Amino acid sequence: MSALEELNRTILLCRDYVVDKLTDEDICHGFQSLQVLCVSDLRNLSSHSGQTALVTLVSLLSRMGMQVGLTIPEVAMLSPQPPLSGSSLFTALIASSETLITGATVRCNSDVNPDLIFVLGDTQIDSSHASCWRLSGSDWYGALATEGTTEAQAWAAKWPVGSMVSAALAANEAFKFVVRRLTVRDQTDQVFFAPSRSCSWSFDSVPVREDGVHLGQVDLISAGAISQAALYALMRFPNIQMWGRVFDDDLTCASNLNRNMLTLASDVGSSKVKVVAQRCAGKLHLDPVANRFVGKSFDGELARRVLVGVDDIPSRWEVQCHAPGWLAVSGTSHFNVSSSAHSPDAPCSGCLHPVDDSAAANPIPTVSFVSFWAGLAMAVRLLREALGSPYSCNRQHLWLTPLRMDLPHAAMWLPVAPRRDCPVHCLASQGL
Amino acid sequence: MTTIAEKKFVVEIVYNGVTKPLQVQPEEQVTALLQKAIATFGITQNPHLLSLFRQDGSVVPENESIERAGLKPGEVLLLRPNAVKGGGGLLRLARDIVRTTFHTLVECGRGECECAIYWTGPTGEDLVDGYEHPIHKRSPFGYEVDDFWLTEFWKRLAISKRSIKVQVHTHPGEAFHSATDNQWPIVSQPGFVSIVIPGFAAGEPSLDRAWVGRLQADGTWRRLVSATEAVIVA
Repeated sequence: MSALEELNRTILLCRDYVVDKLTDEDICHGFQSLQVLCVSDLRNLSSHSGQTALVTLVSLLSRMGMQVGLTIPEVAMLSPQPPLSGSSLFTALIASSETLITGATVRCNSDVNPDLIFVLGDTQIDSSHASCWRLSGSDWYGALATEGTTEAQAWAAKWPVGSMVSAALAANEAFKFVVRRLTVRDQTDQVFFAPSRSCSWSFDSVPVREDGVHLGQVDLISAGAISQAALYALMRFPNIQMWGRVFDDDLTCASNLNRNMLTLASDVGSSKVKVVAQRCAGKLHLDPVANRFVGKSFDGELARRVLVGVDDIPSRWEVQCHAPGWLAVSGTSHFNVSSSAHSPDAPCSGCLHPVDDSAAANPIPTVSFVSFWAGLAMAVRLLREALGSPYSCNRQHLWLTPLRMDLPHAAMWLPVAPRRDCPVHCLASQGL
Repeated sequence: MTTIAEKKFVVEIVYNGVTKPLQVQPEEQVTALLQKAIATFGITQNPHLLSLFRQDGSVVPENESIERAGLKPGEVLLLRPNAVKGGGGLLRLARDIVRTTFHTLVECGRGECECAIYWTGPTGEDLVDGYEHPIHKRSPFGYEVDDFWLTEFWKRLAISKRSIKVQVHTHPGEAFHSATDNQWPIVSQPGFVSIVIPGFAAGEPSLDRAWVGRLQADGTWRRLVSATEAVIVA
């Protein structure tokens, strides 16, 4: 295995915009040569949200092949952070070096001459580095700002949604930094890769019971990148209970490592469902079903809650046809994330994705943080559904392009319009 | 003095999270706005899959003028992929279509010759409620549809506002799409469905053993895992 193979899909995504003369090796080197320093003090790592922000950021950066340096104290892990193992945060992160992408190291700060610095919360740093961002946020809200633009608070939140948002925002800035250095083909496209001085996103707060949340039985269709990102997030939600099945007939391959958040390089060749079930064990009970979900030959009934992370659109219709209850679907297309939820009486996933997309059959260009947004959005939808506080119908669909989250329409909440030609012939479409 | 009212206005187009204003005129076609938007953002990746969406989630119809589509000054439109353009939602089959198709294929082919059937339905709908058995030459190795019949068939379809939804034909042994099948479908639009029935359609009238494929935008055929990805019984 080589980084070139593992970063194949990220390289493919860059090809949308970088100059044609660059070889795959050039693009790969662009990512591998970036040195990123992550800095935090003890206070900001003394909360589950702070720890989750750091672990998620390091993982998203590593899955782009970047070199990560850490200036952090040793601190005990407050909760498990799969796929990391161990009980000490610093040690576990250092041990993750080169376990995600070949050559993507995680080291202590003394070995790193950073191009970028990411600072957690209100950690004090002594640096006038031009490219320095600060991650901050709360339970449901995450923010990223260049040093000196805003006054950040220490990470103290109990719920880690905001911290994962801030990590995804930061990973995006690192990606854009690389693309800017690679040279964008068309000057007018530079706007997509301009740095964001300050950006944020909120999934909106929702009251959570102290005694925990029972998500009940949940089936996952696919054990790929989006499902893994959703499970990565769910694993970090405090005090939740969930059981169910995960369906996928695929084996882990090298080109999955750039985005499959629960997968290690050593998992290549293993069944995706087994990898997922194993990484989630201890908190979520998932039965691995090493078959593709095919409704016609499926002898049983899907759970009342289903998460769909497949890109294949006919498969989404098939699941929608067989889902007896609530369904969430997330997908990505280049830099775009689509996330939606569908109760039985609402316009279905067929109304939103009405026709097969032939491009989905080809290798899909992807990058870690885009897939991660898709899974995180799906995990939040599941949580809200279980809490009885789903998003309103005006927010049935989220279209999010994380490149420029500082701009007003980077993310748009939308309703789903029922369609007369809905391929699933859902109730909403029949009512037209 | 005659005053000419300024009718131009600006709509906001969002692509990849970036917003750009575009000036439009009420009588301008939406498709022209779409092309302008694609050009403005310099999109080269599958531009034919893109559509404009309103903030209520609906697609702005491309066959309308800006005015008839109801676009308003300052309206924010999302430019994003709409796979509708790839064609090919699930087709709803009238209940007897599969059975009668098999009956015709068996009767015509007599277990020794290939045969073809075209499934038809109202243009613009996903319903298959009729079939046509073309006049054709037949052999164990292929079939050739009569030119004159084909011309008349097209005329009939146009008059009745119907279209061919699926081509179905038999093979002697295994079901597959031959090079000829790939090159000469009766309809060459992306999304068109082709079904090949093995064994001259002998046995149970079922699509379970059939080869089912969908024509892609690049002219290649994509084999579907099962017929249920293309058709369902209404």
